[in-house]
Amino acid sequence: MADVKTVGETDHQTLVDRNHDGIDRRGFLKCMAWAGTGALCVVEGGVLRSFALDSYGAKHAKGQLSFVQISDSHMGFNKPANTDVVVTLKAAVDKINALPVAPEFMLHTGDISHLSKPGEFDSVDQILKSARAKEVFFVPGEHDVLEDEGAQYRERYGKNTNGAGWYSFDKKGVHFIGLVNVMNLKAGGLGSLGAEQLEWLEGDVKHLSHSAPIIVFAHIPLWTIYPDWGWGTDDSAQALAYLKKFGSVTVLNGHIHQTMQKVEGNVTFHTACSTAFPQPKPGAAASPGPMKVPAEQLRAMLGLTSVDYVGKKHALAVTDSTLE
Amino acid sequence: MRRLFRFVVSAALAALVLVASSGHYRAWAAGETAPAGTEVKIDNFSFTPQAITVKAGTTITWTNHDDIPHTVVSDEKLFKSKTLDTDDKFSITLTKPGTYSYFCSIHPKMTGTIIVE
Repeated sequence: MADVKTVGETDHQTLVDRNHDGIDRRGFLKCMAWAGTGALCVVEGGVLRSFALDSYGAKHAKGQLSFVQISDSHMGFNKPANTDVVVTLKAAVDKINALPVAPEFMLHTGDISHLSKPGEFDSVDQILKSARAKEVFFVPGEHDVLEDEGAQYRERYGKNTNGAGWYSFDKKGVHFIGLVNVMNLKAGGLGSLGAEQLEWLEGDVKHLSHSAPIIVFAHIPLWTIYPDWGWGTDDSAQALAYLKKFGSVTVLNGHIHQTMQKVEGNVTFHTACSTAFPQPKPGAAASPGPMKVPAEQLRAMLGLTSVDYVGKKHALAVTDSTLE
Repeated sequence: MRRLFRFVVSAALAALVLVASSGHYRAWAAGETAPAGTEVKIDNFSFTPQAITVKAGTTITWTNHDDIPHTVVSDEKLFKSKTLDTDDKFSITLTKPGTYSYFCSIHPKMTGTIIVE
């Protein structure tokens, strides 16, 4: 019997699979309800597992649009608990290639590299080439723009983007917006979008229909998770204000190396795991530095996120799976 | 009027980026040994001690003990370290009295202050 948990805004409710088919229907309905037009999040046993992808996903998640989010590959990191981030990124790609529904593309929500070194970016590019989904859309993390104000990042991943690398595109009726909130950070502050990017965003969504589903992706969370550790974005409220008119907004972030969800009105927020190393729960350690976990536990704390958009139902299924 | 400043840059300037703006300081490059002075530890995403008071001409050295890279950047861009990976050091000698606020440009919640007397 699968032990399925849905994670809502504040509640952590354990639900039980009564049909022994990996789907908890009560939980499913509850999820759909709390997300409005939004998201279904399936988590197994408190720790995120591949349950949903392997069973639920195979039978039911054949949406109109499927894509995968990976994040925080930190290529070049070589310390405990993960001295081989190449292997774990490859494991993530294997996982993507084993998905029952082939994703059309991937999002990488930043910290591609650990130290912005060309060889680190090269390694990631090489590994991602073996993924079934060939197209990858990136946004930078703070580790990708270390020495050159992001020039190398934009040269590699940000051609035809605006400003520091923000852009939008459409896929099968879904409007995707990639934002950059890791540049020009101010002393004592959080992530920052900046006036120029906000102005661009306002213009980008101005003429879209209210019924258009919106997916925003950026590295640092666009909701305040834990300001003491910088887990938030100073001017995200302004960005979200421009998205208020839309019926369905999904925000996908990385940076905190763990999954979290929150639903606020029409907006579903979600953070993805890292493929490199886990970070502690907010405030659970002296700092947000890498968690040193036993080798046998590492892959259960790394992962990726897949998203299926079902056009007719206007439903987004956001599913996390670990690298186990 | 632009304030006077002076800095000495070694040819082996591998680990430092200097922002040539204003203020009196000397930056020490990788491979150079900075004179004994004041140490600031970077540990658990914080600068310790968070505030220091030194005599003008004292050398201050930061050492990153974290598994994550950090930087030491003056709020007013008077000085700026290159990215400090684990165990990397950055040293400056401030010769002009004043209060210098700095932060980690990667993790801006990390802030510190140097008072030069």
